Amino acid sequence: MEDCNVHSAASILASVKEQEARFERLTRALEEERRHVALQLERAQQPGVGGGSMGSGQSLPMAWQQLVMQEQSPGSQASLVTMPEAPEVLEETVTVEEDPGTPTSHVSIVTSEDGTTRRTETKVTKTVKTVTTRTVRQVPVGPDGLPLLDGGPPLGSFPDGPLDRHFLLRGGGPAATLSRAYLSSGGSFTDGPEPRDAPSYGSLSRGLGMRPLRGGPLGPDPGNGCFTLPGRREAFPVGPEPVTPAGRSQPERFQAESYGLEDDTRSLAADDEGGPELESDYGTATRKRPDCGRVLRTRAYEDVADDGGELLEDRPLYPAVTAPLAQPERGSLGSLDRVVRRSPSVNSARKEPRWRDPELPEVLAMLRHPVDPVKANAAAYLQHLCFENEGIKRRVRQLRGLPLLVALLDHPRAEVRRRACGALRNLSYGRDTDNKAAIRDCGGVPALVRLLRAARDNEVRELVTGTLWNLSSYEPLKMVIIDHGLQTLTHEVIVPHSGWEREPNEDSKPRDAEWTTVFKNTSGCLRNVSSDGAEARRRLRECEGLVDALLHALQSAVGRKDTDNKSVENCVCIMRNLSYHVHKEVPGADRYQEAEPVPPAGAVGSQRRRRDDAGCFGGKKAKGKKDSEMDRNFDTLDLPKRTEAAKGFELLYQPEVVRLYLSLLTESRNFNTLEAAAGALQNLSAGNWTWATYIRATVRKERGLPVLVELLQSETDKVVRAVAIALRNLSLDRRNKDLIGSYAMAELVRNVRNAQAPARPRARLEEDTVVAVLNTIHEIVSDSLDNARSLLQARGVPALVALTAACQSVREAKAASHVLQTVWSYKELRGALQRDGWTKARFQSTAANTKGPKGALSPGSFDDSTLPLVDKNLDGEKLGSQDVIPMEALGPDGYSTVDRRERKSRGSELAGESSEKEPLKSDPSRKVPPPGPSRPAVRLVDAVGDTKPQPVDSWV
Amino acid sequence: MSYIPGQPVTAVVQRVEIHKLRQGENLILGFSIGGGIDQDPSQNPFSEDKTDKGIYVTRISEGGPAEIAGLQIGDKIMQVNGWDMTMVTHDQARKRLTKRSEEVVRLLVTRQSLQKAVQQSMLS
Repeated sequence: MEDCNVHSAASILASVKEQEARFERLTRALEEERRHVALQLERAQQPGVGGGSMGSGQSLPMAWQQLVMQEQSPGSQASLVTMPEAPEVLEETVTVEEDPGTPTSHVSIVTSEDGTTRRTETKVTKTVKTVTTRTVRQVPVGPDGLPLLDGGPPLGSFPDGPLDRHFLLRGGGPAATLSRAYLSSGGSFTDGPEPRDAPSYGSLSRGLGMRPLRGGPLGPDPGNGCFTLPGRREAFPVGPEPVTPAGRSQPERFQAESYGLEDDTRSLAADDEGGPELESDYGTATRKRPDCGRVLRTRAYEDVADDGGELLEDRPLYPAVTAPLAQPERGSLGSLDRVVRRSPSVNSARKEPRWRDPELPEVLAMLRHPVDPVKANAAAYLQHLCFENEGIKRRVRQLRGLPLLVALLDHPRAEVRRRACGALRNLSYGRDTDNKAAIRDCGGVPALVRLLRAARDNEVRELVTGTLWNLSSYEPLKMVIIDHGLQTLTHEVIVPHSGWEREPNEDSKPRDAEWTTVFKNTSGCLRNVSSDGAEARRRLRECEGLVDALLHALQSAVGRKDTDNKSVENCVCIMRNLSYHVHKEVPGADRYQEAEPVPPAGAVGSQRRRRDDAGCFGGKKAKGKKDSEMDRNFDTLDLPKRTEAAKGFELLYQPEVVRLYLSLLTESRNFNTLEAAAGALQNLSAGNWTWATYIRATVRKERGLPVLVELLQSETDKVVRAVAIALRNLSLDRRNKDLIGSYAMAELVRNVRNAQAPARPRARLEEDTVVAVLNTIHEIVSDSLDNARSLLQARGVPALVALTAACQSVREAKAASHVLQTVWSYKELRGALQRDGWTKARFQSTAANTKGPKGALSPGSFDDSTLPLVDKNLDGEKLGSQDVIPMEALGPDGYSTVDRRERKSRGSELAGESSEKEPLKSDPSRKVPPPGPSRPAVRLVDAVGDTKPQPVDSWV
Repeated sequence: MSYIPGQPVTAVVQRVEIHKLRQGENLILGFSIGGGIDQDPSQNPFSEDKTDKGIYVTRISEGGPAEIAGLQIGDKIMQVNGWDMTMVTHDQARKRLTKRSEEVVRLLVTRQSLQKAVQQSMLS
C-alpha cells in the first residue's frame, strides 16, 4: 500500500482514462460481436428467455435499452430530441442532467483531495461491474417480455424504435410497467433466499432503508428517503465526473438491450477465462458510475434542497424503479415537473445514464450468485461500500453478510477469495467490535489463516494479515488468533521476512529483514495479541523461531539504520510485551532467582530493601567499598552457564539485547519505538533474578545511562515515562543509582518543574509521567545521602514543595511529599535545608497529610513501577493498536494511501500522529544535544577500563 | 591507512592464498590475528592509526601455511574469501578464517611496505 503513495493524482487519473478508453474499445468490439452472434448466443445460453409476453416484457427491455443509450452516447441527446415524445423525454433527460452542478463539484473534490476522489472512482468501477453482471442475469431470468426482445428486432430497430417505445412507456403508465419490471427483476435475482424476494414494495422500503445507513451522518432515519440520498451523495462524492465525458462520447452504437444480453453471455465466458472482463468492467464502471451516482445524487440534491416533502411522496413510485438494473425511469418517476423546475437550462445539456446502485441486500445476495465473477464483484463492491462507513458495516452484519464472506475465503477461485478478504478487511476495521466478534463466530479466523497458508499471491497475504491485524485489536479475539494463527503467522510471515535462518549457512551473508506490508501487518497483529496477558505471552515466547526472528529483524534494522518504520515499532513492542514479567513467567525462572531473600517490597522498610538490592551484586558489602566491589563482582559475576547458544525466549533477557535496545533508543525517531525500547529495558531490569541483575549492569557497561537520561528531555510524554521507570529499575543496581543520582537529577527535576510550570504550552506532563518521575527520584534519593544532596543542588526541593502545595493531582502530591519526607530524613541535610529557609513543616506536614495512605501506597507504587506497569503497557498497547488499525483499514487497495493520510488527520489518534511528525523537528535537538545532556553523556559512563577487553590474540 | 568510517577505502592490497594444514582434527593456518571492532584499537602495535579497528596478523608460526604463503606479521587483513574484514568483531574474523569446510583461504592484505613500494614506483 505504501507504493500507492507514489501515484500522483495525475497518474491515477490517467490510468482511469486509459481504462476508459480500453473499455470503449472493448465495448465496440463487443457490439460487433453481438451483432453477429447475439441471437445465437442468447438462444443457446438462455433458452428460458424465449417465451414471454410481448407487450409488457418488451417495454421493459426497451427501457433498459434506452438507458444504456443515453448513458453511453452523447449523441443520444440528439436522438432524443428527434424523438416524437420529446417533451417528456427531454424533461427527463434534464433531470438526469440536472447534475451539471454535480460535475463541478466533482471536479473540485478531485482537486482538493485527490486521493479520496480517486478511490471513489475505483469503487464506482466496481459497482458498475456488479450492475452489469446483474443485468445480464436478469435478462435470462427475465420476465416473459424479454424473450421477444432477444429475438432481435430490437437490435435492428434500435436507435429510434426502442427509444420511442421506451418513452411511450414512460409517458403512458410508467408506474405499472415499472413495477412489473421490478418484480421480474427481483425474481431473477433472488437466487438466494433473500428478503428481496418479497414483493417489490417490500424490497423498496428495504432498499430505501439501506441508503440512509450509508449516509449515516446525514440521515439517521432510515425511512427518510431524503436523507438517504444525501448520504449516498457523500459516499460517492467524487463520482467519476472526469470520466463521464468520455462515457458520453461513446458512440450511439451502444444498444442497450443487446448490450445487456450480450453481457450475459459475455461475462460468463470472459470471466471464466479470467479474461479482460475486469478491465472492461473498470472502464465501464468509471463511465457508468457517474450515472448512478449522479442520478442518486441529483435526487438527493433535489430532495434536500427543494422538496424533501415531495420526495417522500414520490417514494412509493421508486420501488418500481428499483429494479436492479439501470433505472431509466428514476428520473421519470421522480417527476418531470421537478426536473423541469430544477434546471430547464440544463435540459439541453446531455443525457445522464441512469444506473442504480444495487441495494445492500442485493449485493449480499450476489455473494451467493452461482457465477463466480459476480461474487467477486459483489465482494469488491462491498469492500468499497464498507470503507469507513460504520452504518453499512453494521447493516452487513445484521443481514448476515459476514458468514457469506467468510465462506468465500475458501472459494476455489482466487479472485473471489481476494475480493472477499478485501471486504472483510474493511468490515473488520473500526472501533465497533461487533463485526469482529461476528467474524469470529462464523469461523473467520481459521479461514483467514487457512487462506494465508494457501495464498502465494502477495496481495491476498496483505489482505489477510491486514484483516487479522484489525481483528487482533479486539480483546476476546486475541487468544483465538493465537490459537489458530500464531504458528502460521510466525512461520509463513515473520520468520521468512525477518531474514532469520534457523540454521544459518555461514557462507551466505545474513539476510536483512524485509519491511513488507505483510510483515508490518503481521507484526502489528502479534503486537496486539502479545498484550493479552500471561498466557498469551507464554504462547508467543514459546512459539519456535518467533523471538529469534524478531530479534534478527531488529538487529538488521539497527544495522541498516532503518529504525523509524512501523514494522520496527511493532517488533519492539512485541519484544517489550514479551519481556514483561519474564523473571516470573519463563520456564525455569526460579533457578535464577537471586539467592538473597528479598522480601516483597512492601513487607520491609525501604532501608533494608535497598540494602538487599544492592546485595544482588554479590552479597552485602560495606557501603564504602561498594563501588569497587561491585565492579569486580560484575566482572566475575557468574552467569548461568549454558552449553549452547541462547535461542527462543532465552534471547529475550540475554544481556546482548541491551545493546540492541540502546541502539534503538539512540537511533530511532519513532516515539512509539523509543517508548517500547525503554519499556523493554524497564521490564528486563525489573525483578530479582540473575538476569535482571546482569541486565542492569550491562546497561551501564554499554553506556546506556546517558542515552536514557538524554531521553528524559523527550517531548513525548510516554517516552519520558518509560525512561523514568526504566531508570528507577536500573537504580536497583547500586552503582547505577549513584551514577543516575549524580547525572540524571537535573533532568528529573526539570521534569518536575515542567509539571508545575510547563516551559511550553501544552508541555505539561501527564499525571502518570509525573508520578513516575517522582517515584524515580524517590528511589534514587532513598538510601543515598549523596543523591539527596544532588537533589538539593538541583534545586529540587522548591519544585517539590510547589508541587505538593499547588498540584491538582492527589497522586502527584503524594509522590512529591514522599520524596520530601525522605529528604528530610537525612539529618545531615537538615542544616542546609533550614539555611535555605525550609522548615520541618514543609516536609512533614505534607507527608503527614498523606501519611496514612502513603504507608499503603508507597510500597504498592514501588511494585507497580518496578514491575513495569503492565496494565499501563496494555493500555498503551490497546491505544497503539487502534491507532495502528487505521492504517490498515484501507479502501480499495491501490488508493489506500490517501485515505490513510486523511484518516490520520481525522482520527482520534491525532495526537499520536502529530507527535510522530514532530519528532523530526525535535530529533535534531536530541541528537545534537544541548550542553546539558552532553555533559553527562561523557561522565555518566562507568569508569572505563573494564569495558574494554584485553586485546585478544587468537591463533587460526 | 587511516580512513573515515563509512567512506570508501583505497589501499594497496596483496593476494595471499593459504592452504590449510591438517593437524589431527583441525585445519590450521599458522598465524594469529588481533583486532576487531570489539577490541581496543589503541593497543594494536601494528596499526599506524591507533583508531583502526581492523584485523591484523600478530604472529606467524614458523614453517606454517601462512608463512609459506607469504603472509607477514603486521599485515592488515582486508578480506577473507571475499568477505570484508575491516568492520568485524574479532570473533567473526576468527570464524571466517577457520571454516572447516574451506581448505583454502584467499586473503587480501595490506601492509605499510606495500603502500610505500607503490608510492615510490608511482613517483619514479
